[in-house]
Amino acid sequence: MNVFIIEMKAHRKSLIIWCIGVIMMVGSSMAKYVGMSLSGGSMNEFMDSLPKSLQAIWGLGSLDLSTVIGYYGVIFFYLLLMATIHAVMLGANIISKEERDKTTEFLLAKPISRNAVITSKLMASIINIVIFNIVTLVSSILFVNQYGNGASVTAEILLLMAGMFILQLIFLFIGTAVAAVSNNVKIVTSLSTGILLITFMFSVIVDLSEKLEILKYFTPFKYYDAKNLLQDGHLDPVFLVLSIGIIVTLSIVTYLFYNKRDLNT
Amino acid sequence: MNVIEINNLTKNYGNARGITDVSFTVEEGEIFGFIGPNGAGKSTTIRTLLSLIYPTSGSATIFGKDCIKYAPEIKKEIGYLPSEVFYYNNMKVIDLLKYSASFYKKDCTKRMIELAEIMNLDLNKKIEDLSLGNKKKVGIVQGLLHQPKLIILDEPTSGLDPLMQQKFFDLLEAENKKGATILFSSHILTEVQRLCDRVAIIKEGKIIKLEKISTLKENNYKKFKIQTTSGIDENFFNLSGVNNLNKKDNIISFLFRGNINTIMKKISDIEIANLWVEEPNLEEIFMHYYVKED
Repeated sequence: MNVFIIEMKAHRKSLIIWCIGVIMMVGSSMAKYVGMSLSGGSMNEFMDSLPKSLQAIWGLGSLDLSTVIGYYGVIFFYLLLMATIHAVMLGANIISKEERDKTTEFLLAKPISRNAVITSKLMASIINIVIFNIVTLVSSILFVNQYGNGASVTAEILLLMAGMFILQLIFLFIGTAVAAVSNNVKIVTSLSTGILLITFMFSVIVDLSEKLEILKYFTPFKYYDAKNLLQDGHLDPVFLVLSIGIIVTLSIVTYLFYNKRDLNT
Repeated sequence: MNVIEINNLTKNYGNARGITDVSFTVEEGEIFGFIGPNGAGKSTTIRTLLSLIYPTSGSATIFGKDCIKYAPEIKKEIGYLPSEVFYYNNMKVIDLLKYSASFYKKDCTKRMIELAEIMNLDLNKKIEDLSLGNKKKVGIVQGLLHQPKLIILDEPTSGLDPLMQQKFFDLLEAENKKGATILFSSHILTEVQRLCDRVAIIKEGKIIKLEKISTLKENNYKKFKIQTTSGIDENFFNLSGVNNLNKKDNIISFLFRGNINTIMKKISDIEIANLWVEEPNLEEIFMHYYVKED
């Protein structure tokens, strides 16, 4: 419990900054929607006229920008990016920082097992990403309803946030697994954010060409794509099972490797 | 009873030297010195005992229990001061000490305040603002506040001024009287000589000597350097007890072990320009051990 409390305190400041960032992101983007919705369907026409590659990079897909939820779907693409960067860095950092700051010799000389250290840190991380998710959810509901001209889209936002939460978990565990496996503290953060960028690039490439459709299984970003979620109205069971599999595997890797290897002192 | 028992402990790190076949025991209630030059493997041995790293082969027990299998349990009764102290920089001293105390299922507040007073430690400073010596004091307090049965110290005196060193040694002796066993690692022979009952000497990852301090004190070496006014015969000092004899121009140096009067009388027979008598450093003692082994 003490390690958990210390980790919550240690990450408080950065969590607040991330939350402010996400609120500003949602708020400022939704404010622009007002201007756009006044121009009617012309925005859609303009977007359609853009080359497909540009549309993909901006995360437009086939979202209808003239509806508030379609517009929000585009913002969601960027929110996902923020949430996963936060999660992967949190995961990588929370495990590797004892070795980076050379506090391993303090912590592990105490009567606490390595498993208990990992469990406390994971608990603190999960609480952090839950807070991030709730802040995103609440600010999204508030701003979207504010600018949405009365159309209630709370259910859709809840669905998107559920997807975002699972994605946050996946990237959190990618971070912790990299930190647990790697002996080199210096490369942990860059390696895990590197993995994030590559999977993100994959998700853009999938949109570019239908031939590369198969790649969608290799990038968790595609599991919770705004366009598909809004179309189907529920999470895809295949992707859900796949996500749970990834999370379980990565958490086993985290515990196993952290237990087996020599810690840097 | 043996508090620490190390059996053929070996740790290889790729190319870098680890430790080879280290074995020794530390008995309950003794202060055991662990000496050797920097990089000899002292910290490696200690980190293996604390299961921060795992041995390539061999094993060790603490309080009769395997040091890896029962690590969390045995650490309840261990106090550890690492050679280099690093703590969470954004914490205040008091926060760190409370965090440290929170791992032990007993109230350590009283002892914590006592220790901080003895060591003259300001509890309200931020860790990052502390000097090396003050960080070391934090290390001492966090290592002792739960009144451990086994105290493991890795180069504990570096950074402490002589007055603090004195207080720290007094503290250790008091803990020892109360029943604590102490493993004291150092590269400074004199401080080990002062405190310890027995010593293990490690060099290049191997234990080269295991001895009682009383025996080591009988082997009381002095380093002589004599500058003569005129050249003298090299064999002039060829007595029993003289080692590592070296002559360069008018300067003769050697290590001497035995009755100091014998050598003083010998020196009084010649005309000297200058004389130095020093405690030999550890390297020189080691060199002597090697000579003896050859």
